[in-house]
Amino acid sequence: MSEEKQHIVSYKEHFGTWAGLIILTIMTVAVSVANASLLTLTVVTALTIATTKAILVAYWYMHLKFEKKIYRIMLGIVMLLFVNFMLLTIIDYSTR
Amino acid sequence: MTHLVLPNSGHNRDPEANKMGMWLFLFTEILLFGGLFIVYFVYRSINSDAFLHASYQLNVTIGTINTIILITSSMTVAMSITALQKGNLKLSLILLWITQIFALAFLVNKYFEWGAKIDHGIFPGMAHYAEMASGEKLYFFLYFFMTGLHAVHIIIGGIFIAVVMKKMKEGKVTSERISLLENSGLYWHLVDLIWIYLFPLFYLIH
Amino acid sequence: MSAITSELNFFQVKKGIFSWLFTLDHKRIGLMYLYAILSFFLIGVVLGLLMRLELIAPGETIMKPKTYNQVFTLHGVIMIFLFIIPSIPAIFGNFFLPIMLGTDDVAFPKLNLLSWYLYVGGAIFALMTLVVGDGPADTGWTFYAPYSVQTGTNVTLAVLAAFILGFSSILTGLNFIVTIHRLRAPGMGWFEMPLFSWALYATSWIQLLATPVVGITLLMVIAERVFGVGLFDPSIGGDPILYQHLFWIYSHPAVYIMALPAMGIISEMIPTFANRTIFGYKAIAYSGMAIAFVGYFVWGHHMFTSGMSGSARIVFSIMTFLVAIPTAIKVFNWVATLYKGSIDLQPPLLYALAFIFQFLIGGLTGLVVGALAADVHLHDTYFVVGHFHYVMFGGTGFAFFGALHYWFPKIWGKMYNIKRAKIAFSFFFVGFNMLYFPMLILGLMGMPRRYYDYLPEFTNLNVISTVGSWVLAIGLIMMLWNLIQGWRNGTKAGRNPWGGITLEWQTKSPPPLENFDKMPVLNEGGPYNFKTK
Repeated sequence: MSEEKQHIVSYKEHFGTWAGLIILTIMTVAVSVANASLLTLTVVTALTIATTKAILVAYWYMHLKFEKKIYRIMLGIVMLLFVNFMLLTIIDYSTR
Repeated sequence: MTHLVLPNSGHNRDPEANKMGMWLFLFTEILLFGGLFIVYFVYRSINSDAFLHASYQLNVTIGTINTIILITSSMTVAMSITALQKGNLKLSLILLWITQIFALAFLVNKYFEWGAKIDHGIFPGMAHYAEMASGEKLYFFLYFFMTGLHAVHIIIGGIFIAVVMKKMKEGKVTSERISLLENSGLYWHLVDLIWIYLFPLFYLIH
Repeated sequence: MSAITSELNFFQVKKGIFSWLFTLDHKRIGLMYLYAILSFFLIGVVLGLLMRLELIAPGETIMKPKTYNQVFTLHGVIMIFLFIIPSIPAIFGNFFLPIMLGTDDVAFPKLNLLSWYLYVGGAIFALMTLVVGDGPADTGWTFYAPYSVQTGTNVTLAVLAAFILGFSSILTGLNFIVTIHRLRAPGMGWFEMPLFSWALYATSWIQLLATPVVGITLLMVIAERVFGVGLFDPSIGGDPILYQHLFWIYSHPAVYIMALPAMGIISEMIPTFANRTIFGYKAIAYSGMAIAFVGYFVWGHHMFTSGMSGSARIVFSIMTFLVAIPTAIKVFNWVATLYKGSIDLQPPLLYALAFIFQFLIGGLTGLVVGALAADVHLHDTYFVVGHFHYVMFGGTGFAFFGALHYWFPKIWGKMYNIKRAKIAFSFFFVGFNMLYFPMLILGLMGMPRRYYDYLPEFTNLNVISTVGSWVLAIGLIMMLWNLIQGWRNGTKAGRNPWGGITLEWQTKSPPPLENFDKMPVLNEGGPYNFKTK
């Protein structure tokens, strides 16, 4: 069975992704060291930065940006599911 | 004896199917760790002070170094795929060796981190652990469980990559048949992804 | 290219036990699951009959209370993890999904064999709890903390069994999803696929995504037993209710793993025996996906009296009522298919009709307990026991035996005695309803579940129920005996004894190793378009 020509991600693009990840890592450490209080905001910030890193890893390192749409849809549904598990469980604890 | 051959035979080589299978497996890993993250978030929300206090006992520097190690190892494994696609088997293998070294470095760091805790009796069942405040006990139980399970996955990922390296040397994984290398890379990136969330949640609470 | 007839069927190509134990043929793997699953089912039946014997009279009848707790725990573990969850996908999904899609195997045959070994391994662990240490777990199949982390019985072993079985389930789901995406026959789009395939697709996603959550939860239970302190321990700030959340995040979707494939079977059998195209193909396909999706968000209805917050209870109750809607759509469409069809009342259709009747009772009683105010009275009573047996046994169980009668001639190339099959069915049906309907009444009267004893006023209904279990057992034995006789001495069956038009009826009975001896031909106008016959 013949395949289309593979899409090759260049070394430069991989290095660029790495640089982005390192910058975000430094950011997230800096934010937490700087903020002694504001726990909730720190969690939100930390998770936002972590999710940005995750998207970089998924889209470039894991090639998701260049795959068929079905993979992004599947991952989206999986993350939606997980977030809803979390949400529904937390509703119990936050309204007791 | 001859038999009918179907155009959509399952015996055809299908890299797309292998890729899809790997992604589906990664989804199960996400949900597996997801259960632990749910426990973490519930307990952090009802024990927030204890979690904050307990997190001071972790070394942010080592955690950051480990994060950088994993991010870099993700880069090297992704580059090894590029190298093999371009026909450069030697460079591809070198990059995979580097990935393995990073994996080992991560585990060594973990060994020292855990060792320091255990030396101080901070481990479920040990004396100092028993004296801690209740929310802090939960924090450390989760810390050991989650980073331990994560370390197990690093070992599995390392073995997977080692198997792929062997097959590359034997000529069974090539630029034309690259599925196994790509899928081992996907698994490795997942291990990196889990740590990307573990790191801020355990080390960077303050 | 020219088609070449395969002379041998898949039984004949290779012989000997090792050709089975190391097979990669999805049909043989399906049959190995069948033999294993039926064996464990029979053990589960015996445990159930023993429970009913204990309950024929108040007070201690044949066993001590702790033994009774162990019996109902093992009964639940075996029936749920070893029978109902795997049965239809692992047996009929494995055997028929590739054939119905017009291909020659699943996407990952070696993974398929691994799934079988994991199943057998997990089963061995589960049965080992019978013979080692302090005996089987006595916690109920739900393993609730804190009792499950404290009791001296074989919880760790039982929970490990469930963990291993979970992996078998996950890998089967993974295999089917890729098979359905990648291996359909040329020209068979998503909406030309049989409805059994749609049902397996929805089920596989649940197997894939929900099972890992219970996997990690069970590991947490083991960790707490090993370290003496753990994540559900209130003395360190933990919460036993969190265990229930995590457990039911899987175990509720698990009931859809049980129900959806059964519904897929019914969607296959009804068009064939009504000789009509299915009413509302797309509605049935979509409703299966909707059940899978919404079913992820209803788990809290198992926890209404646990101490969960009021707001959470309201949310879960609403979601529970929502998930009933796609289910009702299916029932409506099946009945509409039968209406003005040319009905051929063969044994498989009898099972399908019983399914509709019993699943309806089960589903409606589910709504009763899904209502918050009613559940306060009915939780942990026999009403719940009646409810879930109606859906899982009267529903999925009957669909399973219906499928066995439907595809029997295709698998073994022989036909069983139809008249005896119908008589066995009658005993089975009457016995089932005698056994479980009284439970609905007993629950409303207030009889609690998981008790080896009860108040004297509950005696009469318990006697009826126990006698019902004997009638059911007779029906089961008659049914299995008839099928075994059919396998040994039955008349030879042709390719299409029932007049079905999905692809499996085009090939030989039994099928050749590569599934087809001639290139399969898709129906014009859809998979159930009987007009083209």
